[in-house]
Amino acid sequence: MAFFFNFILAHQGDSADPELLHWIKERRDGIFGPAPLIMVIVMGFVVLAIPISVGVFYLMQANRRAAVEPSVDQGGTERGDAP
Amino acid sequence: MIQTPAATKNPIYFGWYVCAASIFIGFVAIGARNSFGVFVVPMSDEFGWNRFTISVAAALGVLVSGLVQPFMGQVFDRTGGRKLILISLVILGGSTIMLSLTFHVLFLVFMFGIVASIAQGGPALSNTAALMSRWFRRKRATAISINSAALSLGGLVMVPFSMYLLQATNWRVAWVGLGLIVLLSLPLAYFFIHERPSQRGLYPDGAPEPPPEAGGGLNEATGPLEVETWKESFKSAPIWQMAASYCVCGATTFILAVHFIPFAIEERGISGSTAATIFGYMMGLNIIGSLGAGILADKIGGTKNWLALVYLMRGMAYILLITVDSVAGLWIFASVAGFSWVATLPLTSSLTADVYGLKALGTISGITFMFHQIGGFGSVLLAGLLFDITGSYTLPFAIVGALLFPAALSAFTIKERKYSTRYQPAVPAPAGGD
Repeated sequence: MAFFFNFILAHQGDSADPELLHWIKERRDGIFGPAPLIMVIVMGFVVLAIPISVGVFYLMQANRRAAVEPSVDQGGTERGDAP
Repeated sequence: MIQTPAATKNPIYFGWYVCAASIFIGFVAIGARNSFGVFVVPMSDEFGWNRFTISVAAALGVLVSGLVQPFMGQVFDRTGGRKLILISLVILGGSTIMLSLTFHVLFLVFMFGIVASIAQGGPALSNTAALMSRWFRRKRATAISINSAALSLGGLVMVPFSMYLLQATNWRVAWVGLGLIVLLSLPLAYFFIHERPSQRGLYPDGAPEPPPEAGGGLNEATGPLEVETWKESFKSAPIWQMAASYCVCGATTFILAVHFIPFAIEERGISGSTAATIFGYMMGLNIIGSLGAGILADKIGGTKNWLALVYLMRGMAYILLITVDSVAGLWIFASVAGFSWVATLPLTSSLTADVYGLKALGTISGITFMFHQIGGFGSVLLAGLLFDITGSYTLPFAIVGALLFPAALSAFTIKERKYSTRYQPAVPAPAGGD
């Protein structure tokens, strides 16, 4: 039974494999240096950038469409405002 | 009101925004879950827990998330999914933040093993794949395969992020940070997770006109096996064929996730870092394999043929793993197996949607996912048992590897042309449209 619990702990997700994590960390440290705070800021920025980019991209598209087609569908929902 | 073709001249179909939001949700949700392993050592050190004690929370979490999925699928089907995903994200983010207040192992078991694991079922891939199936018909497999990339990205980005956050701060702050990132996905989910294209006056795939089979309305085309409830689907052969092969998929991936590195080190004599490099290479390839399988299935057709091919490829890879006793053999194995690792998910999900329709898709996908998990746990236990008896992984790898060939046959013999909506003849649209 202990084996059963231990393997789940060690390998509960593919990417959470301890050896793999160690390998990933070594590679990243080789590129960016080992300072954890810098890595947190860089990776945190990347994670934050994803939803912001999606939102900004949608708004740009919506504004462009609204400028081209000012009154296409009076009753429709696809306007230039937020989704 | 349904928009005219001129009105749908939006360069990017809204379904792709739904897909992007879904990827980010999966990315943070899966990432937060997989990061648990990072917290084991600091939490054990502070509270004096041993590995077994803290493992209970992780084990319970795996069990709960597998068992709860069919029920979450049913809630998804009945409510449409948007509210379920939003509420689940709030609970998941809140429970992740609450983990920072851990004071006793029972609190950890309850908060991670039960609350967070149930919440995880809301934005699970089986549900978001069902969501993608509503928004896409012609590009269904492609959209699901892109969505599935969250599985790999969540682990590859969020887990190292948690690791650095832990190093930079402490485990309590790190749990809060992870929880806040989960909550960060809420605005994206609120604005972009819409249940059906018809809610935004659109047709699946962003088509300017309704699909001909739909009779001029916004409803999906119906195939001969389209079901209203999940129980009906299990009276026909295709779901059993898919579930059986998906069970083998779970068996052959879980066993590798757990035992590949020990096998490579102990039986092939390579270093731990080389074994981890090969495993990492295999995980990197799974993104390409998943995307490629979805795109090919949509472009060329014959989803069941691609599914059979994936199982066949993996079976060949297992033969290589067992028979070729060299590092080169491991690399070749990793190349072949890596492409097939996640590729079964978009193919199985899209084929399920094509055959059984969308009304009970969340539940049906949740049940097939449970089969996948059962296969995984069975194989890992079998491997541990047989390793103790024989002192080698060869026999368990041979057993599960051999199962891949009947799995390929099972997938190949699905009568897709007969049952899939993709191959149903177009019916003339009745007057009246929508």
